Amino acid sequence: MKLRTLVLFFLMFSGLQLLAQKNIEPTPQDVIDAKKLREQFPKSDVAILKSSETISFDLNKNEAKVIVNTETKEQLMNINHRADIRKYEFYDTESEIKSFSLKYRNDKNANPAVIDEMYKDNDLFYNDARVKYANLSFPIQGYSYNYEVKKQYNDVKYFTSLYFNDEHPVIEKEFSITVPTWLNLELKEFNFEGNSIKKSQSVDPETKAVTYKYTMLNVPALFQDENAPGRSYLYPHVLVIAKSFKNKENQVTLFNSTADLYKWYSSLVGQMNDDNSFFKAKVNELTANAKTDEEKIKNIYYWVQDNIRYIAFEDGIAGFKPDDSQNVFNKRYGDCKGMGNLIKQMLTLAGFDARLTWIGTKHIAYDYTTPSLAVDNHMICTLFFKGKKYFLDGTEKFNSFGEYAERIQNKEVMIENGDKFLIEKVPSVNSEFNKEIFKASLKIVDGKLEGACSRIFAGESRAQLLYRISSLKSDKKDEILERYLTDSDKNIKVNNIKNSDLKNRDQKLTMDYDIAVNNRVSDFDNEMYVDLEYMNEYKNFELKDRKTDYEFDYKTNYESNVSLAIPAGYKVTKIPENLTINENNFSVNVQFVQSESQISYKKSFIFKNGVIKANEIEKWNSFVKDLQSNYNQHIVLSKI
Amino acid sequence: MKKLLPCLLLLLCSFSYAQNKAEIKEFFWGKNDDHKNTIAVPVKWKGESAVIIFKKDYYNFHKFGKSVTYTSAVRKRIKLQDANAVQQFSEFSFAERFYTTKGFSFKRGTTTVGIKIVKAGGTEIEVDVDKEAKDIDDTKKIAIANLEVGDIIDFYYYTVEPFKSFYETGFAPVETTLGDIYPTMEMKLLFETENDFFINFNTYNGAPELKEVYNKGGDRKYELVAKDIEKNEFPIWFYPAAELPFYKFQVYFARSARFEAGAEAFLSEKESIIKKTVSKDDVFNYYNNKFKPYGDISEINAFVKSKTFASDEEKVRQVYYYTRHVYFTKYVEAFVAHETNIFYPFELYQNPVFIKNEEQFINHFMNFLKKNEINYDIIIGTARFNGPIKDLLIQNNVTLLLKVNTKNPIYLEFFSPFSSADQFNYNLENTEAYALQVSKGKKVVDAENIVLPKTTSADNVSKTTTTIALESNLTDLKINRVSSFFGHFKESEQSDKLEFYDYVNEDYAKYGTTPLMELVRNKKKKEQYQKEFAALIDKVKQRKEEELKKIVSQEFEFEIDDVDYEVKNTGRYGSNQPFSFEEKFVIKNNLVKKAGDNYIIEIGKFLTNQIDVDKKQKDRVNNVYMTFPRLFDNEFIFEIPAGYTVIGIEKLNKKVENETGKFIRTAAISGNQLNIKTVKEYKNYFEPNSNWAKMVSFLDAAYQFTQEKILLKKN
Repeated sequence: MKLRTLVLFFLMFSGLQLLAQKNIEPTPQDVIDAKKLREQFPKSDVAILKSSETISFDLNKNEAKVIVNTETKEQLMNINHRADIRKYEFYDTESEIKSFSLKYRNDKNANPAVIDEMYKDNDLFYNDARVKYANLSFPIQGYSYNYEVKKQYNDVKYFTSLYFNDEHPVIEKEFSITVPTWLNLELKEFNFEGNSIKKSQSVDPETKAVTYKYTMLNVPALFQDENAPGRSYLYPHVLVIAKSFKNKENQVTLFNSTADLYKWYSSLVGQMNDDNSFFKAKVNELTANAKTDEEKIKNIYYWVQDNIRYIAFEDGIAGFKPDDSQNVFNKRYGDCKGMGNLIKQMLTLAGFDARLTWIGTKHIAYDYTTPSLAVDNHMICTLFFKGKKYFLDGTEKFNSFGEYAERIQNKEVMIENGDKFLIEKVPSVNSEFNKEIFKASLKIVDGKLEGACSRIFAGESRAQLLYRISSLKSDKKDEILERYLTDSDKNIKVNNIKNSDLKNRDQKLTMDYDIAVNNRVSDFDNEMYVDLEYMNEYKNFELKDRKTDYEFDYKTNYESNVSLAIPAGYKVTKIPENLTINENNFSVNVQFVQSESQISYKKSFIFKNGVIKANEIEKWNSFVKDLQSNYNQHIVLSKI
Repeated sequence: MKKLLPCLLLLLCSFSYAQNKAEIKEFFWGKNDDHKNTIAVPVKWKGESAVIIFKKDYYNFHKFGKSVTYTSAVRKRIKLQDANAVQQFSEFSFAERFYTTKGFSFKRGTTTVGIKIVKAGGTEIEVDVDKEAKDIDDTKKIAIANLEVGDIIDFYYYTVEPFKSFYETGFAPVETTLGDIYPTMEMKLLFETENDFFINFNTYNGAPELKEVYNKGGDRKYELVAKDIEKNEFPIWFYPAAELPFYKFQVYFARSARFEAGAEAFLSEKESIIKKTVSKDDVFNYYNNKFKPYGDISEINAFVKSKTFASDEEKVRQVYYYTRHVYFTKYVEAFVAHETNIFYPFELYQNPVFIKNEEQFINHFMNFLKKNEINYDIIIGTARFNGPIKDLLIQNNVTLLLKVNTKNPIYLEFFSPFSSADQFNYNLENTEAYALQVSKGKKVVDAENIVLPKTTSADNVSKTTTTIALESNLTDLKINRVSSFFGHFKESEQSDKLEFYDYVNEDYAKYGTTPLMELVRNKKKKEQYQKEFAALIDKVKQRKEEELKKIVSQEFEFEIDDVDYEVKNTGRYGSNQPFSFEEKFVIKNNLVKKAGDNYIIEIGKFLTNQIDVDKKQKDRVNNVYMTFPRLFDNEFIFEIPAGYTVIGIEKLNKKVENETGKFIRTAAISGNQLNIKTVKEYKNYFEPNSNWAKMVSFLDAAYQFTQEKILLKKN
């Protein structure tokens, strides 16, 4: 039998809590400061009043490695009514957290429960990163905690950068880096211009070690914008490049030049044990009936795209060293390095000159003039074919041979070349290459817009759509395709859909269909009001509260050509106004042309560099308002 | 030697675990596996993403004294027919060792996983799970290698949970369709039990029955086998348990008659009998000793004493709302203060009584009714999505109500902050239930079948009055909307729109009770807690503002600006009181279209999102199961700007009505106002499929209204 009444018995534990409450409440000045800061940072709950990071170096003589010690001290203050946050620190197999503490304002230990667990990332199947964190409550405005963390990096190679910005705004951020005489270290500054960062340096008279200090005031919180450029473009930071050090009278070179970086990468490649016997039969099968070399290449490249699943393991050195090609082939999965290497090995087996290639995607601002592990984040394969270099990215889906995804275009690549390496650039294409065209030839039948439509997709607009379609459940494909064409609008009905081969990535993707659109023609008295604007392209694409560039998936080029036959017995009394804008990164043209028998409605949206720059956002938003006004106009047809 | 012993033990343990693994593998994929060579799938399912060739669900319940071993397992052999299916099965994760939540346990449960791939040519590749799995905290994760379209993936999860049961223990009930997300060629459910395990099991809607296949020395095995099952598709307004082949079961462990009596389940007479139905008598027998007038009702007594009531009915209602406060909402602040680490508040209450479940509520309320000599019954019902009461099998599916036998009976249910006397869970309305009759306010003496009252669309009303004015820029619209929700519409709206401080403070004011902070005697502490509590409320309000803006924006499907919101009546003290509030907001650059000198207003869009019955839904084959009969009464007042005339109102008048519901719209101009009224009604809880087309006719009419426009013609 269960207890009928829940009587709450509570033990008196409050003593501890009360003791802990002394002198931790904010002072009146704290509250005033917090209010001011909230005005300055209206979207933030917590501000870091001061964050000091001290970096020093030690030598692990036995392993000939440079150890990095960091000590961070922060004062966190709640600037909103109340705040509940998670304070965390990452580490991995190459680093460790020596201490992690949170104290009240009175410097007594707050002793929050500290949780230590593996870091889970949806994009990575497995990675060795771990996170240590504590949940913190700030009960009132002005409440603060002092945070202190000591962390050690076991190898300076993996200690690559220092960023001033944090998840919370930082009122005063200071880095203090002490470089001993035995260490040759370069501090390379990025994005300092436009930011007021004070620098100083001093020499310890005894040790002769040099201490570099960087201080920045009022550092805003990290931006939360979607489709933003990578952080190395957005925030001021210092890249730490450990070039060499002296160990037991020997000068040990780390990354003194790009050649050293290549040398290290190359040494990892040298540890691989590729065995092409496992996929010899597959290569034969893929190339046996190919009539040309190009067909052979395509068969191999497309087979990898279609059959090797992207599953990423970031586990210690496996984050840098490609998996052996036979493993990737046998497993039918791999990360970018594994896929790049498999393409290389298969093409090599088929008699081609294919090489591993390192690349930093568009997400990374650096090029190979900087010798650092922060420079690249991706691997592809370069094919030397008929005097030209082709870049093959196994992680792409429905990528046609010779075409390159936006994320690698115009980026530097480091191609293996024996003891040396080659630096090249992935070619860039213009937006015309990705053009998507919508065409509709409409007439008014019984109050509906009816007619034939077509859509044509090229380049990345084609690749993206083909991939989306291929990922659908077979039994839902037709239904979802129809929903796509009707934009899930009940007023739109499509019929007789005919499309090109949904597996062919080398030709333009076309879709032809009949359309009937309801509720877009209104009859009032002797007039017909026609709303041709049922696609509403970019109507709600306002970039609100945004401080960063907006990056499109690719250089977008969209064209719409809609024609409306003027019904017999009617004349056109009003057509919407035209609208044009031409800026550095976007040009839009909305145009109505009336002829005797029809109204032609043409729209084009071109984002020629695949971006709307932060300084263009105001212009873009203002244009969207005009576009909305334009879309809110109807064609008026009057009875003759 | 001393050192050797632990090593030997360790070796023995790992040997036995490995042996178990081998046995488990044999159990699924061994010589008795009838499907080890099944590769082909029916042509009719060629276009499916995947086809389940064979699915085996396995449950085993065994004990040794108090030690229970519960084993549950599933095996699926699936043909992967497209890239989507390959993606779905490309990764597996499981907790190899875990602590069970059942009974008492110091020994961890284990999950053993086996995975193999059958290539198109018939070659089998078994995944070495131990080698391939990566540890991610307490979870193991495997990426499946060499998986391609056309392959068969064959896997099992086998979980063993050992625990000690000193009392009775119920296993989680299972209620599921035979079908899966992919079509199934064959499924088998296998049960193995012995004495002291009581099984309630039944199948419905044409699913084959569970059959005994073995019975020897107390050990019993049962099987359910079904073939050729289409994949599940759940349309809108559908209860799978009501139509699809379905089974449900629950297993209960009770070592002796004492524990059988304590079991929260309708047990069979003896373990060898599978209980397939629960009769009214079973229900009576289960409940007749469960309830008794019990609990501290001193606060209720004081309340009753301080008031005069026009009738018993009024007394019951008033006491219900008072009870909701003193045993429930009075403590909400304390829970909030505790959860948000402001302070530990519970010691501030002397003998606090917080009611947390139906049974406690009923016993307390019975105590009050008995003391006040008011007659009542206890109602045993079940939500209609569980199927009818005659198919009741699982005690968890019971919902308890009190029926107070005043002149006009009052139904009461265990409260939420928003529950009303006279109103109870709509899922029970108009369903058959059992009434346990209580003699002299004390003892359950009989049970009878009753049909619970129903509500009509006149009870459940959502009413809005929207005033729309065109701003002087002739592009923006200024909106004022007053909404009132009656009946079953109320509770979900209240819980969306109100926060704890709204109803807690209202209750304190109504009943003159003491808020939490007033209980804190230490002045300094009180000041501190008050500050922290006020900060918390300010933060919640800040979030609420954003939430409300989002709710209105979602309703219109575009961003709404300048949202202002005010509650007019919380509607918490009577089923006939509406929950009402007023919103003001601005619609910018939407719903107004320019046509030369004239303007087209998309007036229909103010009805906001309506059900859009698409081509697939039109061809519905299932009956229609809805929440409750309901009516949406909307009025739109459009202020006609000076210098313009409204054209097209004749098109706005339309009526579709039939036995399933209606959508009626009327429009008229009065002075400078265009007044449009729409009424949409769903008349019933349920419609047979034959009525679906009739429903679609008024649903389409409502959708069509959202597309209607008027013309503002310049004079």
